Amino acid sequence: MIDDHLGLEILKEISRIASSTLDLDETLEQIIQIIKNKMRIDAIYLAEDPGNLLHLRASSGLPLEASGQVKLELGKGVTGWVAEHKCSLALPEAMQDPRFVLFPEIQEERFSSMLSVPILFDEACIGVINVHTLDRREFSAVETAIVETIANQVAGALRNALLFHNSQRLLKEQTILYDIGLAVQTTLKLEHGLWVILSGITMGEAGGFNRAMLFLLNEKNHSLDGEMGIGPDSEEDASRIWAEWGKKKVDLLNWIMVEADKDEFKHSRFNRFVRSLSFPLVGEGNILTETALQKQPFVVSDPHQHPLVTREFIETLGVEAFATVPLIAHETALGVILVDNRYNHRPITQEQLRLLTRFTTHASWVIENTRLFGKLLDTNQELLSTKEQLIEKEKLAALGVVSAELAHEIRNPLVSIGGFARRLEDKLRKVSAEHTGIEDLEKATEYSNIIHTEVNRLEQLLKNILLYSQAGALNLEEASINEIIDETISIFKSGLYGKNINVNYEKCDNLPALFIDRQKIRQVFINLFYNAMDSMPEGGELSIETRTQPESHPPDHVTVRIEDTGGGIPQEAFQNIFNPFFTTKSSGTGLGLSICRKIVESHGGTIHIVNNIGSGITIFIHLPLQKPADYYKN
Amino acid sequence: MIKVLVVDDEENIRLLYREELEDEGYAVTVAANAKEALEAFRSTPFDMIVLDIKMPDMDGIELLRIIKEENKDIPVVLCSAYGRYKQDFRIWACDAYVVKSADLDELKLTLRQVLSA
Ligand SMILES: Nc1ncnc2c1ncn2[C@@H]1O[C@H](COP(=O)(O)OP(=O)(O)OP(=O)(O)O)[C@@H](O)[C@H]1O
Ligand SMILES: [Mg+2]
Ligand SMILES: [Mg+2]
Repeated sequence: MIDDHLGLEILKEISRIASSTLDLDETLEQIIQIIKNKMRIDAIYLAEDPGNLLHLRASSGLPLEASGQVKLELGKGVTGWVAEHKCSLALPEAMQDPRFVLFPEIQEERFSSMLSVPILFDEACIGVINVHTLDRREFSAVETAIVETIANQVAGALRNALLFHNSQRLLKEQTILYDIGLAVQTTLKLEHGLWVILSGITMGEAGGFNRAMLFLLNEKNHSLDGEMGIGPDSEEDASRIWAEWGKKKVDLLNWIMVEADKDEFKHSRFNRFVRSLSFPLVGEGNILTETALQKQPFVVSDPHQHPLVTREFIETLGVEAFATVPLIAHETALGVILVDNRYNHRPITQEQLRLLTRFTTHASWVIENTRLFGKLLDTNQELLSTKEQLIEKEKLAALGVVSAELAHEIRNPLVSIGGFARRLEDKLRKVSAEHTGIEDLEKATEYSNIIHTEVNRLEQLLKNILLYSQAGALNLEEASINEIIDETISIFKSGLYGKNINVNYEKCDNLPALFIDRQKIRQVFINLFYNAMDSMPEGGELSIETRTQPESHPPDHVTVRIEDTGGGIPQEAFQNIFNPFFTTKSSGTGLGLSICRKIVESHGGTIHIVNNIGSGITIFIHLPLQKPADYYKN
Repeated sequence: MIKVLVVDDEENIRLLYREELEDEGYAVTVAANAKEALEAFRSTPFDMIVLDIKMPDMDGIELLRIIKEENKDIPVVLCSAYGRYKQDFRIWACDAYVVKSADLDELKLTLRQVLSA
């Protein structure tokens, strides 16, 4: 069936292909086409990285669906034997040979004889060419030699195609990495940078994995926490996404930037699933934590056999074959990336792994950079707020001096105006008591009353401004908070009673004495009680509670809780209530709460308000038990 | 009748205080500055002195020092539009300190307390 002449013709054509076409699959296709036309060669098997499986890559006379499906293990069957022993085998009675294994997909039972020749390349067998005949046949030495020569030519063609393929791949890889690097540098949000990288890992033309999961080290909890998952939610989703990617032959960088901004990935079921995972770093390790701890990648082709992979792990993550790589920056592990090919079941190739490590280097940079950037932002923020605080302090000091002088100058005329308005009112009242029914006289009495009430208000404002500007100067003495609250309650007693407000005071009995300025702390409660009263014109509950904290011994501060049922504060107003002069009341000065805060803070304490819109507010005042530092005294 | 000397540089205030205190039953003498005040203080025995702080020439605190040096038993009530003098150690020499207000009730109460002490 094969003679010298035919052999030469075949060789000529094959060498032409080998020197012209460079794409691997195309080369194979053309070679098989020639052989099919000229002689009956039935199958070319090629070994793939990582090496121990032979794939049927091209064939003629074999069922079409066999191509790509059939995988032979090295050493298995005649083909496998040839591949392993790297020498040709001619079998007139193929089925009788002990090495023969029947592969139903190939329907080999139709054939009688078989010639199997290895394709050798740099001492290694990279494939096998099989020739089958329906009739029984003794292959001659010449025939064997011709097929071997063809195999050599094929090897040469393959070598070229492979080199081309590799350089193409490297080029593409460089472009993709460059694009991704650029995309990463242009995003400052950590999650966007990570998304870009994980997308790169899963994109068909780059890493090509079906799914990628990122876990980051949580130093506080000593765990590896799921941070992000990129991949289809399901098999249908997978084919849809890959089809879309196939169509998108757009600029990769652009595409990445646009997609990252959409934030859509966050809502995928898979992402949410990954984010719900957490693996403790202490105790019994698993493959993820070991990847991080040993700073080493793992490739797991059969998870059921792997000592670091539990059944539970396989089931939770739904993995078959998978790989893990650590993210490392400055020699410390930041996290782990896990990848697999869950949907197309392709084995993980060396090429994919190599790309993966390059992507993870990028990911480590991203994380490290964002962290550094975050630190920079924090420091900057700190500086800014310190500056603001300084300005605020200066302003207040200036306000203090100015307001004291101003208050003095304003107060004197006010005293005259108000004082005489009172006298006027008194006199008018006396006169109208004697001469009833004179309308103008009654009006005049009313007017002078208005003058003195308004003067009262101005005086209150002055007093508050002065209090505010002097709130920091303390006259410290040992005093009991309970006593001060008792005093304040008794000052307010009739007012509260008149407004139908119930006072409920839960006193902590063994409250230690505090070093405080009595007057000023009393002022705090006075202001707060006024506010509470104003908020409950129709009556309500005012609850006060004192206690030490923390409840375990020794406590380090005293907490006073004051709660009203005045309906709380509208959200827009709430953020302003501590601002000097902010008020929602027609006759308020808006200094009440700012004075409270100043006084409490000058004692080294804190005040904060929990606003329950619709029910009321709760004020918490914490005062330290130890003497405030001297710093606070002026 | 209890004799009170009121020292203030503002005429309206003097008038207001005189009328209010006279209504309370005091015999009131007024002085517009430290010089007038010292003349009155040295010529007439008073039961009590009400002193403004901020005045031209000599302020109330210096006047307080002179008065107390000459007669440490005479009660002196400082009555000023300043709030912060409460923190000034030099006013410890006085018997009471009242912040000026259109409402004179606090002053009147203080005068009664100081006299009965
Ligand atoms: N207990 C409260 N319930 C509801 N709103 C409150 C309460 N306390 C304060 N507020 C709101 O906070 C604003 C600021 O309070 P702050 O005490 O500083 O000034 P003010 O009460 O308006 O004036 P002033 O204290 O001079 O009477 C109030 O005008 C009010 O709107
Ligand atoms: Mg208030
Ligand atoms: Mg004056």
